[in-house]
Amino acid sequence: MQVYGSKELVEDVLNKDLCIGCGACVDLCPYFKTYKGKTAMIFPCTVQQGRCHAYCPKTESDLTELSMSLFGKPYDGSPMGHHEKILIARAGDKVHPAPFQAGGAVSALVTFAMKNGMVDAAVLTGRTGLIPYAELVTESESVARFTTSKYMAAPTLSAFNQGVKQGFQKIGVVGTPCQMTALAQMSINPLHTENFKDSVALKIGLFCTWALDTRKLAAYLSSRLDITGIKAMDIPPPPAEILVLDMGGKTIEIPLSEIRPLVPRTCLLCPDMTSEWADVSVGVLEGEPKFNTLIIRTRTGQDLVDKAVAQGFLTIREMPAVNLDHLSAAASNKKKRALAGAMEEGLLNTAENGKRAMMRIEKAVVERILA
Amino acid sequence: MSILTNGEPGKRYLLMGNEAIARGALEAGVSVCAGYPGTPSSEIIESLSKVAGNRNLYVEWSTNEKVSMEVAAAASFAGLRAMCPMKQNGVNVGSDFLLHLALSGTRGGMVIVPCDDPGALSSINEGESRQFARLLEVPLLEPGDFQEAKGITRWAFELSEELHSMVFVRSVTRLSHASGNVEFGELPQVNPKAGFKHDGFILDEMEGIITSAPVDYKHGLQHAKLKKAVERFENSPFNTYQGPEHPELILVTSSACNFYCREAIGLLDAGDRVGLLKLATTWPLPPKLIEKYLSMTDRFFVVEEVIPFTEENLKILAQEMAPRIGIKTIMGKRDGKLPMVGELNPDIVTQALAGLLGLEYKPQPDDYVQRSREIVTRAPNRELTFCPGCPHRASFWTINNVLKMDNRQGFVCGDIGCYTLSTLPTGFSASKTLHAMGSGTGVASGFGKLKQFGMDQPVLSVCGDSTFFASALPALFNAVHNQSDITMVLLDNSGTAMTGFQTHPGLKTGAMGQEVPAISIEAVCRSIGAKVKISDPFDIESTRNALFELLEENGVNVLILKQICTLSPEKKAKKKFEVRVMAEKCLGESCGCGRLCTRIFRCPGLIWNKDKGKAEINDVICIGCGVCGSICPNAAIEKKEVA
Repeated sequence: MQVYGSKELVEDVLNKDLCIGCGACVDLCPYFKTYKGKTAMIFPCTVQQGRCHAYCPKTESDLTELSMSLFGKPYDGSPMGHHEKILIARAGDKVHPAPFQAGGAVSALVTFAMKNGMVDAAVLTGRTGLIPYAELVTESESVARFTTSKYMAAPTLSAFNQGVKQGFQKIGVVGTPCQMTALAQMSINPLHTENFKDSVALKIGLFCTWALDTRKLAAYLSSRLDITGIKAMDIPPPPAEILVLDMGGKTIEIPLSEIRPLVPRTCLLCPDMTSEWADVSVGVLEGEPKFNTLIIRTRTGQDLVDKAVAQGFLTIREMPAVNLDHLSAAASNKKKRALAGAMEEGLLNTAENGKRAMMRIEKAVVERILA
Repeated sequence: MSILTNGEPGKRYLLMGNEAIARGALEAGVSVCAGYPGTPSSEIIESLSKVAGNRNLYVEWSTNEKVSMEVAAAASFAGLRAMCPMKQNGVNVGSDFLLHLALSGTRGGMVIVPCDDPGALSSINEGESRQFARLLEVPLLEPGDFQEAKGITRWAFELSEELHSMVFVRSVTRLSHASGNVEFGELPQVNPKAGFKHDGFILDEMEGIITSAPVDYKHGLQHAKLKKAVERFENSPFNTYQGPEHPELILVTSSACNFYCREAIGLLDAGDRVGLLKLATTWPLPPKLIEKYLSMTDRFFVVEEVIPFTEENLKILAQEMAPRIGIKTIMGKRDGKLPMVGELNPDIVTQALAGLLGLEYKPQPDDYVQRSREIVTRAPNRELTFCPGCPHRASFWTINNVLKMDNRQGFVCGDIGCYTLSTLPTGFSASKTLHAMGSGTGVASGFGKLKQFGMDQPVLSVCGDSTFFASALPALFNAVHNQSDITMVLLDNSGTAMTGFQTHPGLKTGAMGQEVPAISIEAVCRSIGAKVKISDPFDIESTRNALFELLEENGVNVLILKQICTLSPEKKAKKKFEVRVMAEKCLGESCGCGRLCTRIFRCPGLIWNKDKGKAEINDVICIGCGVCGSICPNAAIEKKEVA
């Protein structure tokens, strides 16, 4: 991947409205800041090659390079990315019950990884009122505060950057596909730093079809309800087509057609639904609201799941074939739409005419995906 | 003790133009002087305030120029001599009152002293107060040197009293702020008693009511006064001519341009070829005097700042006299011999005059531009900047950062004060509009009403504490009453800092050092229903949080950022923190910093050591505010509280 500086990051991402506000460029330096789901550069910087650009999942993401580095094989464009196993799972008996989303597998895995010493800190995403915020958590007891989905772009990785600054070397991160991409790019030492140490010990990826613009969603909901009263949010799997808000005692349903216009355009250009660069990816499961889908991608992921199951933190089962088909079809469709869109906008493999790309994928793979 | 009252009559003293004006007023027996601070006028009131007790004067810094005119006029109505100095745009501020005062007339001598700023050295305009004399139809005098600054001021009081009309004495920066020899006259031993007579015949100028109505009668009276003024002007000793009886050309000049003309004639050794008509009574021009000089030759060159004011007036008279004296060529600005904008100087005038006389004159050696370019590359790059430890730098740091992070294209409507610099990098270019005093909040009030047209950008205004009282209050009231959505950031540095810490209604001390009641800005804002937060701009975090909160609020918010000016007499030389850069922690130019403190924050107290690649503190000028300790991304700047 080609690394540039903040000037190019602003030109290619912020000015083109491609920034999702993942936080990868935040808290590395004094210039990139996050507020209410948006990232801004408050002053220009003169560094020619910066971590901000290198880590950003929307600049020069070379999927072949990432795949070779993480999985030792080229990127093949398969719908759910490289994986070892796909299972269904839910939190085991050892996990204190909490208001989990679906099966609570994410909370279970993070709690276990912390107790087990696999990670010494976890980067999680919380919510104050409606606004998501990132936090570096060092006590497994705190994990329960961060349960349930946010459905909004969150600057989660800013807490990761803070953790690195504070000297944590085994950090676990729970994040969306864009955030997993950023972490993958960090782990390949893109700036060829001497004595490079990858501080990411565990990447738990979340399934994500799109996120919502935080400020727009806040404005939309504020005009209809008291957003400080939102206890939890849920978008059940298809064909429900609703956003369900748990208002503590009562629920409010909002048709997805109403909030789709609040999806940032950058999400529609993202080819990754299942967090393909994670160690283990977690999502909902069609027809089984108290279970999660679990995709194990790396040895680290496999190791974590094995131990968590053995020690009662996680319960697993085989994935029914019909669910697998639906998941694959959904992931494949997102890929197709995203690549077609990126191509149309000239954001895919654009080096020939001197332009910088958002994403680089082998030509043959692109053709296969779009076929 | 001030030389202004201690100097001996008959002796000469080196005085600043503004001090000469003050001495002139003292010699005229002035009783009341009121004004609003503004460069280059401020020293007139400052020097009078120092001798107020001694001479039984009443001196005040008024809330704004219009009020100062009203205060001074009241003294005149009560039979006292009163003076009202201000910078050029002060006349604009009070012009509504002046338009009526011109008609209503005055009693005790009333002198308005506008000090113009050609070239806008300390202004953001180079407005011409002379134009106002013509607009208002009142007599205008322009001293041509320091002695005249005193003499003309003194005479202006007599003239005003004789005419029952205010009189303008116009100065400019190069007269007000330069110094020259002034021979003192006697100070009068008078103890005038004030009293307002108002129950005489309604149209009696000295005992009736004072008003501009009936307008046609009063306007007629005003023209009679102007006629009398012209009679006095015909014989004024302040209009002088120097030069041969039959010159090739006559330079016509006034004010500080008198110096440039004299220098130009000397440099060109043209004293036997050209004459210099230096006019002090520039409006209305005395026609007999003008006819006498217009008859002496055919070519005239008018040298004046800024607009071709005398040039035009002279051309009108020349046209009227043409049947008697023939057609004259009057050169100056309208034909491009002199620039229409900016300050003049001896070089410009000498070069233009040389051209008219067919002489060679090079103001600079041939390679001057080339050589100065070479030198400039070695000179350190200096830009306009806030002082080390200026609270405004900290305030605009937070304002900029909050607006950028907020990410809705929010902006600041700027205003007049040191913080005017916030349109520049030293204020992180946060202010995007800049006009007259108080206009920031007025313009913001307008922007804040544009939501119905789809404008969703946060609107901020900034305003200093003195500006708040001077002219932002009506704008703020407007915003509250009309339900505009704005956040006014009140940069309260406890004084009229830019012009030298003059007092204002928010402070406990008056112009003469007396104790006075201070008006609370916070209480005023709360009382009109604005949401008010107060923060110390040096506390970056709490200021940021306060501003973020206010940006979410509709309606009118006021954030008072209170921190006394670093240069204020109260604070001077007191360091709160000893500040040090820990070199081992300083990231310098690497990713993660990119020299934030010396490249962006740019407090002059921070220096970049190129050889070491580290930032350092310049202990000589650091005032120890400690703000740089809060902004360093690697906590490499240590601050220790000074015991």
